[in-house]
Amino acid sequence: MLSIDTGLLSTHNRDLSALTPEQTAFEIRELSLSYGDKPALNRISMKIPKHQVTAFIGPSGCGKSTLLRCLNRMNDLIDGCQIEGQILLDGDDIHDKRIDVAALRRNVGMVFQRPNPFPKSIYENVVYGLRLQGINDRRRLDEAVEKALKAAALWDEVKERLGDNAYSLSGGQQQRLVIARAIAIEPQVLLLDEPTSALDPISTLTIEELITELKQSFTVVIVTHNMQQAARVSDNTAFMYLGEMIEYSDTNTLFTTPAKKQTEDYITGRYG
Amino acid sequence: MNKWFKSGAPWIWMTGGAVSLSLIAVLGLLLLIASRGLVYFWPSTLYQWDLVHADGREEVVIGERYEWEQVPLERLEEAGIQFEVEGEFVERFLVKTGNREFVPLDFRWIWQPTVVTERSPVDLAAFERIRNGNFYGYPIAVVIDGARFEGAAMESQMKDAIAQSNALAAQANELQSKAIGQINYQLEQLRLTERKLALNGQDSEAALAAIAVSREALNQEYLVLESRLFALREQAADDHVVVRDMRGESVSLPLDQVMAVSFPNRMNLWAKGRWWAQEIAKFLSSEPREANTEGGVFPAIFGTVFMVLLMAVIVTPFGVMAAVYLHEYAGNGALTRFIRIAVINLAGVPSIVYGVFGLGFFVYMLGGSIDALFYPEAHPAPTFGTPGVLWSALTLAILTLPVVIVSTEEGLSRIPSSVRQGSLALGATQAETLWRIVLPMASPAIMTGLILAVARAAGEVAPLMLVGVVKLAPQLPVDGNFPFVHLERKFMHLGFHIYDVGFQSPNVEAARPLVYATSFLLVSVIVSLNLTAIAVRNHLREKYRSFDN
Repeated sequence: MLSIDTGLLSTHNRDLSALTPEQTAFEIRELSLSYGDKPALNRISMKIPKHQVTAFIGPSGCGKSTLLRCLNRMNDLIDGCQIEGQILLDGDDIHDKRIDVAALRRNVGMVFQRPNPFPKSIYENVVYGLRLQGINDRRRLDEAVEKALKAAALWDEVKERLGDNAYSLSGGQQQRLVIARAIAIEPQVLLLDEPTSALDPISTLTIEELITELKQSFTVVIVTHNMQQAARVSDNTAFMYLGEMIEYSDTNTLFTTPAKKQTEDYITGRYG
Repeated sequence: MNKWFKSGAPWIWMTGGAVSLSLIAVLGLLLLIASRGLVYFWPSTLYQWDLVHADGREEVVIGERYEWEQVPLERLEEAGIQFEVEGEFVERFLVKTGNREFVPLDFRWIWQPTVVTERSPVDLAAFERIRNGNFYGYPIAVVIDGARFEGAAMESQMKDAIAQSNALAAQANELQSKAIGQINYQLEQLRLTERKLALNGQDSEAALAAIAVSREALNQEYLVLESRLFALREQAADDHVVVRDMRGESVSLPLDQVMAVSFPNRMNLWAKGRWWAQEIAKFLSSEPREANTEGGVFPAIFGTVFMVLLMAVIVTPFGVMAAVYLHEYAGNGALTRFIRIAVINLAGVPSIVYGVFGLGFFVYMLGGSIDALFYPEAHPAPTFGTPGVLWSALTLAILTLPVVIVSTEEGLSRIPSSVRQGSLALGATQAETLWRIVLPMASPAIMTGLILAVARAAGEVAPLMLVGVVKLAPQLPVDGNFPFVHLERKFMHLGFHIYDVGFQSPNVEAARPLVYATSFLLVSVIVSLNLTAIAVRNHLREKYRSFDN
């Protein structure tokens, strides 16, 4: 069941390599990454457009999550991880020494595969990032909580029990809470690392609808191993295989007329 | 049989049996010390025995029965003692006769065959005295302000008089320890100030005169208080009670020496129970007397709890910081692994070694330096350069540091990396993540470490004997004199008290029940400290429960 909103896509610049700097959120240039001796990404170049949903697909171990985690430097936490090449965010290399990693991560939010709320109340989960920035004014926090929870389509379900422990929510609600937590600090970009792989179909549907909403305000990059999901929610799709970027184009093109044989084999289910 | 073996049932029985054995061992130990210790406070029946010895000598013995045993006749014959009885055994029992200053031994064995009659007369009384232990006998008369009361009047008068003399004694004690103690403390401070001025070359005429004035004022105050104290003491000194003891002689006991009188043979169960509870309360709240063989253990309870709490306050931050560094910041290299193994092995070092270290490093080096730097005026008397409660707490803190480090590290490694990454992805630095997420989530594990540390520290005696514990501490480490907490003071400890009462005491028989009572108390103190910590931990666990649903 591929339902692609071609109406929306037609307004976009279809040639992703010709994006102007204003239209580009991330520009990745010749990015290679290895864990110790083990190469994980090989000379990847791409431009990720603003205010669109870009999906990375590919079989397990192809490096799509690694690439995503490069975008807010979460790979820094891994010992022996070596990176070459550049990733430009608004024209600045995020690996530059002058870049404050904490500031970069405030700007590039991330949601992980499994819901990871903090063992605090729902309210405190959402305002965590704001409190880190030293914002403790109750009224501002209240406003931010309402705004973020509404944006994450969770407000109506939890507005009566903001003081409850976040663990009392269901898995799907927890994942939306985590999204609310990420957007409460108003980043430019939201990275989603297989956000629905641990959820049931109904929660998945809710999150997918949410993603479509979110691109009004944020640039969204999503990693998924579910091709239907990529087709449903994304504007652009990159297919990766063994650390290489095989094909990157708008979702419609990639799923209907793939340029490469490997891509076609994958999306038709011949391997992967 | 083979089938039964294969089914795994023997394994279940074996493991279950091991658990039951441990349980029985623990409960048996607790029951033994609890019963032996708590029975001591129960008012036991007083007996009068009329004895006829083998040589025809007659004797009357009054006292309480302590212990009972059977001796084989053969052994008696070897020892040259002859009894004409049937059977193979002769019974004998241990009697506490009290009246320590009038008899050569206040505990003696009595052979059952020598007993002619055994009675428990209702008029027998047990007097609990400040000095010389209990006195048993028949009260004859009480003399109050020169008036002599006998019979029924005596008993009511005696009761009131004892209550009054106790009140006076309490007043005198209060006066002595609080007011006079404070003046002595201030006089000592003045002496030190004077000496300090002299050392710094600031001993001008004016300064010395000011000190002399305040000293004179304090001395005057002291004289006033002293005369009040003597007046209080004299008030009760003339009153006395006349008691006929087991030798048949009348003895007069000054009432200011008598703390309580009881007629155990008249008491019913309810009255005995009340007396028992009162005695236990006295044991818990009063100070030891008679080289620790009588009286209470309050200073030891206070010292134990104070020292353990101080240790907990010291060891927690250190242990947690060390664990955080090892787990969060130090790389996982060979050096880190070596340090980790070294820390774990520290827990296996015998505690007396820590005591020696504490004495050498803390007391002599650190304490000596502190004295030289900050207390030159007290020289040559040491202030911190002598064993004290602070050095004891520090020594035990080092002793328990490995426990806290290991369990904190375990707690840190149980926190899922997804939660840390979640925090980092929101723009938190590693330190912020640590403070706001990791440490709160690890707090139940930290509490576990603390529980183990407290359990270990509260029972340690050996190192304390070198770094601060004493048989009798005249002052508690906390009192009303500025700065209120005196960490340099020596203190009493329940564990050492057990050793001292049981094995260093001049009167072993009198002290034995106290050993059980104190042991039971020590166990209770440790258990209650642990239960408090466990309650806190469970509360924290509830708060940070389940990361994985």
